[in-house]
Amino acid sequence: MKFREIVESPCGIRYLFDELDLQSGYARKVLLDREMMCDADAIDASYASLRKYYQLVLSDRRRVEDMRFRLQGLRDISGTLASLAEGAVLDEIEFFEIKHLAMLADALSMDPDMGSVIDILDPDGLRIGTFYLYDSYSIELRRLREAVEDAPENAALQEQLANEEERLKKLISDKLRPYAAVLARTLHALAELDISLAMAVQMHVEGLVIPSSGTLTEIQGMFHPGVRAALRAKGRDFHPVDFAFRCGEPATVIGANMGGKTVALKTLCMLQYLYQFGFALPVASALMCPFDLIWFCIGDEQDERSGLSSFSAEMLRIDRAVASVGQGKRVLLLIDEPARTTNPVEGTALVAALLQRLADQPDLALVMTTHYTVAHTGRCWRVMGLVPGSRGREMDYRLVPTTSHEVPREALKIARELGIDAQWIDLADTIMKRQYE
Amino acid sequence: MPFVGEILKYRSVSIVGLAKNAGKTECLNYIIKRLPLDYFNVAVTSIGIDGETTDQVTGTAKPEITVREGMFFATSEKHFRQKHPLSELYAVSDEDTALGRVVTAKALQAGKVLLSGPSSATALKRWMGSLKDFGIDLILIDGALSRLSAASPAVSEAMVLSTGAALSANIKDLVAKTAFVVELIGLPLYLGPEPEVRVSSFSALDEATWKGKRAVEVEGALTDRLLQKLKAALSEGELDVVVGDFTKVFCSQELYRAFVRRGGRLSVRMKSELLAVCVNPVAPNGIVLDSDILCRELSQRIGLPVYDIVKNEYEI
Repeated sequence: MKFREIVESPCGIRYLFDELDLQSGYARKVLLDREMMCDADAIDASYASLRKYYQLVLSDRRRVEDMRFRLQGLRDISGTLASLAEGAVLDEIEFFEIKHLAMLADALSMDPDMGSVIDILDPDGLRIGTFYLYDSYSIELRRLREAVEDAPENAALQEQLANEEERLKKLISDKLRPYAAVLARTLHALAELDISLAMAVQMHVEGLVIPSSGTLTEIQGMFHPGVRAALRAKGRDFHPVDFAFRCGEPATVIGANMGGKTVALKTLCMLQYLYQFGFALPVASALMCPFDLIWFCIGDEQDERSGLSSFSAEMLRIDRAVASVGQGKRVLLLIDEPARTTNPVEGTALVAALLQRLADQPDLALVMTTHYTVAHTGRCWRVMGLVPGSRGREMDYRLVPTTSHEVPREALKIARELGIDAQWIDLADTIMKRQYE
Repeated sequence: MPFVGEILKYRSVSIVGLAKNAGKTECLNYIIKRLPLDYFNVAVTSIGIDGETTDQVTGTAKPEITVREGMFFATSEKHFRQKHPLSELYAVSDEDTALGRVVTAKALQAGKVLLSGPSSATALKRWMGSLKDFGIDLILIDGALSRLSAASPAVSEAMVLSTGAALSANIKDLVAKTAFVVELIGLPLYLGPEPEVRVSSFSALDEATWKGKRAVEVEGALTDRLLQKLKAALSEGELDVVVGDFTKVFCSQELYRAFVRRGGRLSVRMKSELLAVCVNPVAPNGIVLDSDILCRELSQRIGLPVYDIVKNEYEI
């Protein structure tokens, strides 16, 4: 799966992508085309390189800014390099592009071969970034140019000059051809450098952290940068949250309305994508584990546009995810309040049954938020909820493991704290007691 | 050498034509030929496609732009490949136009080029910004057909207007049409108190919005429809209508006159400097107007010197 396919995910990863200060459009394209890494070694290798650039950001910010300034000149010339490799004769514009790339790479010490490429395109040893078919490429070229200048109307001379220029273009193209592959690699490496430097700067600015890889997930102090930015704009802040889950042990998250269950689930999804695309994470510290498939099932406005009811859209989405379980792939399945739009009797049954259906799957990590009381063998987390005495204004967003799978009956408590019509809430309390006692 | 000395006082000058074949290209070539390049680094480009060898609409011959040795020029990849004098490449832009990316080069010898620069005013501004590393003193912009946007003071500091028989074969009509554009270019800067109402052609044109208001700021284009509504509100008294600059005015002369007669005033936030008006008395269909009468009548009407540069072959 490519980054392009998840950048609009409802988990909100777009925020960090938009904030990533890339210097070139080409790097943006390379990042969007990046494949998701599913192997912990590959992820760790990419983090090792990011850590190196992060150190550089901390120790030598000036050098980093100088490198980033130069990278503004990076252009996508993969088309030119492909035609060079295929044996085409290039023209001045294409030679200019190659020289520009080689000089950029040379200035950033990317590849020792770049010196040879520059030599071919800089016969006078001027080491400046401009290009034309220099007179010094051949004595004949110089002679013909002078002759044409003296007799501009002489068509025969003009033709000779054009032929000589063509001959030289072919000669230069042939000399450059052996470097086509290394140039293509260098072009890609420059885009990767742009991406790494942007990620390292973002790590510094947003306070992100490189996680370690393991066989389970343990997160301390996670936050959602997009939600945090929105809160800070209103003079509030994001409360960091801890969480843990592992394969073969389904986890449910229960708790009060407005308790941040959905935001927590979005953050988990975003962290997983960030980890598998090599970004640093918005956490205090984290142990992460890669998955082959990541499913994030949450209702969104797309359902309405596609003409499905929110219930059917949700069921179809979960169904697709369920079908991928037990196929030999490691699956992360994040579901936000399944069956919440149907009646509580059937809803509870559907959720309980889904947990049973997905029990004993050693390669599945399931995290589900719900309002329904369902018993299961996995772990249950509860939102701490409303701070008593805060009159509905203060919420403790922390998630704590709980042994009781009973959904806390906090709606009435919250309503009281909010100062809702007392007669109404008292009546609701009486009805509740009659039903359950 | 009329008006070329004036041009050197500015960092960017656009040359715009009121119609195709109004003589804009001759005007640009005339200017280029007379610039003192020993002391000035000059770059030339156009906004959008222009400089075709033959006019794509009428099929009449259309001269190319002749660049001189040492001049910078920017054109599309396609046109650069078609024709250019020996030139040193300085930059290839990241932005694509219909004819490929924009190539910036320095002519190492004099020669003809086909100009087709950045395709929008914003892209043009970006290109102008990118030139700062090359030590350019003056940027000339060839404003393509009906693209007054190049002449917007947001893009270029000053402008040269070219008009001619291609716009109208009737001297009286030609003078009136040209004079109206010159009048718009000369619209005064708005100096009054900050307008309380902002409207655009897209906003709901509810009269109550500006009822009793003294000044209205127009965002974007001032169209006939919008001006008609504003005029209707004039029965209340005086009204100042403020637009960004003259290139945002798209209303007819008749309506504008009626608006002014009712006591309306139109003013701008940014003003262009009009350096000269050039005329081409020859229309693509073969009609030739009397150059002397045309120059005299137009000059009298607009109060600015008017030149027929082809006929008079002004020398340095």
